[in-house]
Amino acid sequence: MKLKRGKMLIDPPASASSDIALILIIFFLVCAAVQPETGLAQILPKTEEKKQQRDQSKNIEVSITPTSIVLNGSPLQLPAFAQRITAALKQKTRDADRIVVVKSSPDTPYPIWIAVSQAIEQAGGILTLELESERIINVE
Amino acid sequence: MKIQRRRLTASIPSFAMGDIGFLLLIFFVILARAQDDSHIQWQPAKLKDVEMVAAPLASVAIDTGFKTYLDGKEISPDELASALSTLLGDTPSGQRHVFLKVHKEAKASHFEPIIAAISEAGGDLVHILEPEETRNKP
Repeated sequence: MKLKRGKMLIDPPASASSDIALILIIFFLVCAAVQPETGLAQILPKTEEKKQQRDQSKNIEVSITPTSIVLNGSPLQLPAFAQRITAALKQKTRDADRIVVVKSSPDTPYPIWIAVSQAIEQAGGILTLELESERIINVE
Repeated sequence: MKIQRRRLTASIPSFAMGDIGFLLLIFFVILARAQDDSHIQWQPAKLKDVEMVAAPLASVAIDTGFKTYLDGKEISPDELASALSTLLGDTPSGQRHVFLKVHKEAKASHFEPIIAAISEAGGDLVHILEPEETRNKP
């Protein structure tokens, strides 16, 4: 004759289930909040208003539009621009000569702008933004 | 004859102390995240060769409606430079990290004044971006 062993059932106390749920919510909330972020660090010279006309012949100039990137007057696409800017900056040894003046049209999308600025920094250029300042002129 | 009143004593159960301590710890961890901007709606741009970035002193965001936020609070671009200067204080250069979260559809007219303001405040600019997935050609 076989004797059946009595099973011991242990139920977690039902009153603790709300505490457990709360702790789980907070745990996942904290985990989601402390996710590491990825990005691109960028060194920019401190903003200053230049009253004097700068010497345009020394600095490399880049103009960005939604459709093209213009390097010293010649329009290029991003891969060609990266090659040309690397070649242009290879010849420059002084920090002052490695300044790249970037002028963007107001409708330039951010992804294009950030890709161009990354190409300049990877080529060893020092990125400088040229912003158009608004002036109010009263006409009598 | 005086009848002594029975004193009722209430004590906190000692076995709950661990749970209470744990909950308080988590509560203060969440409170410490003063610069929470998780409510801002934005989508990061994608770029190759992005790297992990250090914790920021301030976070500036441009949302889908192209509004500017500093540490989760809306701010006008004109006031951003002075507000950032106050936040960054006398922190030495190299530790003045400012995160810039720009919605991918923003144009230069939106983000360039913000970059200029961060630069004016002497912040170390960090663009927050998503790594671009590299597709293997068959």
